[in-house]
Amino acid sequence: MHQRAHANWVIFLSFFVAYLLAIVPFPEWAMNYRPQWIAMVLIYWAMALPYRVGIGFAWVAGMLMDILEGSLLGLNALALAIIAYITLSLHQRLRMFSSLQQSGIVLALIGLHLMMTHWMKIAAEQAVASNLLFLLGALSSAFIWPWMFLVLRQMRRSFGVR
Amino acid sequence: MFADSRFDYLDRLRYSLGFLTAPVYWVADTPARISYWIDDVFVSHGDLITENERLREELLFAQRELQLLAGLATENNRLRALQEASANVDGRVLTAEIINISSNTGSRRVLINRGATDGVLEGQALLDAHGLMGQVVEVLPFTSWVMLITDSRHGTPVQVNRNGERAIARGSRSDVPELELEYVPDTSDIEVGDLLVSSGLGQRFPKDYPVAEVTSVVHDRGQPFATIKAKPLAQMDRTRHVMLLALANNEIERAGQSGIAPVWTDNATNRDGNPLGIDQQIDELGAETLEEAVNPAPETAGVDEPVPSEVADILPDDPAGQEY
Repeated sequence: MHQRAHANWVIFLSFFVAYLLAIVPFPEWAMNYRPQWIAMVLIYWAMALPYRVGIGFAWVAGMLMDILEGSLLGLNALALAIIAYITLSLHQRLRMFSSLQQSGIVLALIGLHLMMTHWMKIAAEQAVASNLLFLLGALSSAFIWPWMFLVLRQMRRSFGVR
Repeated sequence: MFADSRFDYLDRLRYSLGFLTAPVYWVADTPARISYWIDDVFVSHGDLITENERLREELLFAQRELQLLAGLATENNRLRALQEASANVDGRVLTAEIINISSNTGSRRVLINRGATDGVLEGQALLDAHGLMGQVVEVLPFTSWVMLITDSRHGTPVQVNRNGERAIARGSRSDVPELELEYVPDTSDIEVGDLLVSSGLGQRFPKDYPVAEVTSVVHDRGQPFATIKAKPLAQMDRTRHVMLLALANNEIERAGQSGIAPVWTDNATNRDGNPLGIDQQIDELGAETLEEAVNPAPETAGVDEPVPSEVADILPDDPAGQEY
């Protein structure tokens, strides 16, 4: 296979940028609207290249996220692995969807991700039960998805990542 | 996940993964550093002169107060020596900068740019120029996580500066970053405007550092305890420059043993070589055993719970007590 076709660095770079965006401090009032960048990038790559970005990849990515957030080790890893599994089983259909439909799926997936991490944190006594405002993050993620999809697809095509 | 929360053998993995994530923080912090650099470089000559003058004045004031303090400290030490208590004045600090805040809405934590390579240990107290901020809960190679005293799972042992009344200040569960005094009897003498200082009972925080100012006291006859709220003095969300306080020697030993050290040890002396006063040793023992009794599961590193004895006696069986 041609060396260029791998272009692993494009995937890693996109994740690196997503990590940066994920830990950029937000003002207090906007905390709940923080989009889940890692989960979105993961959904894109699992959809576009299901044979390269899978559950194992998601697990490692989530592990790094746990370290960055300082949360319990494996919390994000489990949640992202489940997201990756659902995306992998849906990827054929997701590719056919219009961007609006994709946004709807992303809304559901990110909502599930946020809900799972929230439950796990409560179960592990890392957070206290609060209102459901944190689910607004899923809404902002779904809103950003079409633009992010365009950017990542452009990157994938121009660098020939297959 | 279970393993990480209950045992500590995953700490090494966490620590080594910390090396991988360090560059992300470094890059994410770059804009802030550049803006500080620009502030430093592109500043007019006149501004510098006025700032210099102001700083000189402040230094003069500070030095005057320091002179008074030095006198007070020696007097205090002499009085303590009379009682054979230890002189517990320790001034060693390590400056640090806050480089990130937790994106987690459930907890209030900040990341500082000092880690194991700078000698940071778990349990060190963090201060800013105005008061106590929190304590180190997780040490990574180049950074560490600090739990703020306003975190809802954090309890700070405090006492009222005016009359020495003791209480535990817990971070509030609401969105407002403030403290709530727990289990304070209705008859207690706490008023709005009272200064709360750390009481040193938890063996975590040094004694007599300013913590918060009481903002509201509500005596509700339907409630067994008074509802008292306090505003932390440290500028939690504005400051960037903070100080890490060095642990006392016995604390360092304890951190090295990674277990609860026996209180009655042979070397029950402070670093001056004086034996600890007997009442202080009893004090330590009391705090330690009470901490065990009230909070038997040591799963939450941030909660240090020295319950003053008069409060412990009337502590109710709190059903919500599990989800601190």
